[in-house]
Amino acid sequence: MNKNETVERRYLPEISRKEIDELKNTVKVSSQKIIADNIERMKKADPHRPDAMKYFDDIANLFGRRQQEIQAEKEKGKKVIGYLCLFAPTELISAADAIPIRVNSGWYDTSKLGDRVVPVEVCPVIRSTIGAKMIELSPFLEQSDALISVLTCDGMTKLSEILSDQKTIWGMNVPRIKDSTQSLRFWSDEIRHMKTQIETFTGNKITRNSLKEAITVSHRATKVFRRLQELRKGNPVIMGRDAMLVNQAYTWDDKKRWTEKTEALCDELEKRVQQKDWVCNSDTPRVMLTGTPMFWPDSWKLPTLVEEGNPQGIIVADEQCSGERILSDPIGVDEWSMDDMLNAISERYLMASTCPCFTSKDGNEDRINWLLNKVKEWNVQGVIYYVIRGCMLYAMEYSRVKKALDKINVPVYYLDTEYTREDVGQLKTRVEAFMELLNARVDF
Amino acid sequence: MSATKEEFWRWHEYRRTMPNIKPAGKDLITAGVDVGSVGSKAAVMVNGHAYSWGIIRTGSNSPESAKKALDFALKDTGLALGDLKYIVGTGYGRVNVPMANKAITEIACHAKGANYIWGSSVRTVLDVGGQDIKAIKIDETGRVVSFLMNDKCAAGTGRGMEVFADLLQIPVEEIGAMSLKVESEPEPVSCTCVAFAKTEAIGLLRKGWSKEKVLAAYTRAMAVRMANLINRVGLEPALVVTGGQSKNVGIVSRIETILGVKCLPAPNWREGGLDPMVAGAFGAALLAKALYEKAQPVR
Repeated sequence: MNKNETVERRYLPEISRKEIDELKNTVKVSSQKIIADNIERMKKADPHRPDAMKYFDDIANLFGRRQQEIQAEKEKGKKVIGYLCLFAPTELISAADAIPIRVNSGWYDTSKLGDRVVPVEVCPVIRSTIGAKMIELSPFLEQSDALISVLTCDGMTKLSEILSDQKTIWGMNVPRIKDSTQSLRFWSDEIRHMKTQIETFTGNKITRNSLKEAITVSHRATKVFRRLQELRKGNPVIMGRDAMLVNQAYTWDDKKRWTEKTEALCDELEKRVQQKDWVCNSDTPRVMLTGTPMFWPDSWKLPTLVEEGNPQGIIVADEQCSGERILSDPIGVDEWSMDDMLNAISERYLMASTCPCFTSKDGNEDRINWLLNKVKEWNVQGVIYYVIRGCMLYAMEYSRVKKALDKINVPVYYLDTEYTREDVGQLKTRVEAFMELLNARVDF
Repeated sequence: MSATKEEFWRWHEYRRTMPNIKPAGKDLITAGVDVGSVGSKAAVMVNGHAYSWGIIRTGSNSPESAKKALDFALKDTGLALGDLKYIVGTGYGRVNVPMANKAITEIACHAKGANYIWGSSVRTVLDVGGQDIKAIKIDETGRVVSFLMNDKCAAGTGRGMEVFADLLQIPVEEIGAMSLKVESEPEPVSCTCVAFAKTEAIGLLRKGWSKEKVLAAYTRAMAVRMANLINRVGLEPALVVTGGQSKNVGIVSRIETILGVKCLPAPNWREGGLDPMVAGAFGAALLAKALYEKAQPVR
């Protein structure tokens, strides 16, 4: 339950019930409009949109089906454990028969409300999540009985403190040097501590069998997740935005059902490959996104500009924690002992991450390798380096990424923006000029 | 359309026809229309050579401004809209150019236009328009290699200069020269944001600074900002300045001082030279020619 009755608010302003309800209603209506508009535009972009996408459109309505399902589960006594970062070991949550759900906020309107608590210089992901909590907008955040907050950056660190005014928060300390044995040891202690915390909170013991089951579910999901990204290697058979939505839906959805539905989508897409039924001309510039996460629904601003631009581009890959980083790496278990499984989880969540919050002997070389591999294998012609203002870590790593891409002669464009909708006109010029540049490399 | 005493922000709206070109029936006539936030420019080309152009102030209605600019460029040439084989729209209002066959960003068009005005040696183009600044690197054919654009604020752009013209009651076209009439260069104002710079300027005037010195401080701040953008994109000579502010000698000479390179001199538009303010429209008209030719069946 919310703690607002018992704990003094150290950060969040006192807002009257009336104002909360009014703001919540206004923002909810505007958000539903944006969600509907995003989906409408995705449908229009691909007149032969796969039937299987209907299911994901449904899940994308954050105030719809999924919220009701979770509510029903909660009424039966299930706990919901939200998380604010991909490093949260969701398998431990599932293994304790609780529901893991990601609660990062992608609303522009709530980021403006967050300005009442933190300065505008703070990254909008943080401000938006604060604002969402202030007016109780986010169904998943509200339904969470506890939140796992991994302290990856300054924003996340203070966000968890601010949310602790109203929520039970479990912080996870993340080591910043990735490739040392003491870091792994430290992190693996954090993972084990989290296991105990989840067990105590839910009252459910995480057993060898339940954890093995949860990891197996993840393995199956990873397999189909990879299958979907593989399908984006050749001639475009799915719009980038559709694939991005499917990827992100995993963080809200029931894992088994998501896997089935994504398999159905891949089956459909494979048929289309055989029929050579492409979503755009084969000479459409192939774009990869990297940088700050793009949370549904307001962050669809940029991918929409790319795929509806004149000239148009097609997003074939990304390197974002709101996208392909979600599931690309499997948990490598050797033996199914509890100890081995926990070690495998620790390694998976630490070593596989390419988040710029890490450094190592070679800096964040893992990220560079990911990008170069994607460019090569997915035949990427241009990279958009997306940074929302306030995201220092991504902004600072740009120079290195640019150098690496310059070396293989792949253009990269640094695009800085905010959650705001006011800069769409200006962004359109920047995105379209980049698409023209990519086109001109082929033929103008 | 002449300037009145009260309208210090007002700049020259004018048109030009090149006397040495006489379009004939077999000629390929194309046009480019560049609807900027402050100025609308249209250029007509005959077989890829600049034939006529016109510059007007952009009104509240983009399609109308586009039409007015093109009509202005066609005026007294004997040509009509129907003679134009292909039209490219560009600039901030490019999607609102009703007669255009295609829209292309002003970044690609300024690149092509700079290549046309100054030739193949141009590698870096600084386009300073009414509300944004773009630094563009181009190759010898005028293709964009990379580019940077300032964020959404209008700091250090043509619109800012208009605000200063009004504030100091100096015709906007004289601001550049006046800003150079200082014995020593003052420190740049600390903020190029139009609103804040205005406040700061008022403060400096009250402190007893001359108008020239205030202008120098503001122009310096703008030039620093532009030079930073050029450095970030990577300065490679030859450097040129396009857009309305290419006419601001105070800006151009300061950029040269800061960067330690000379810009290629702009043709004198008052004597019929190709106007760098029209670079986007020239580029658009050239791309229009290329697109028209590409669409023709191979004979």
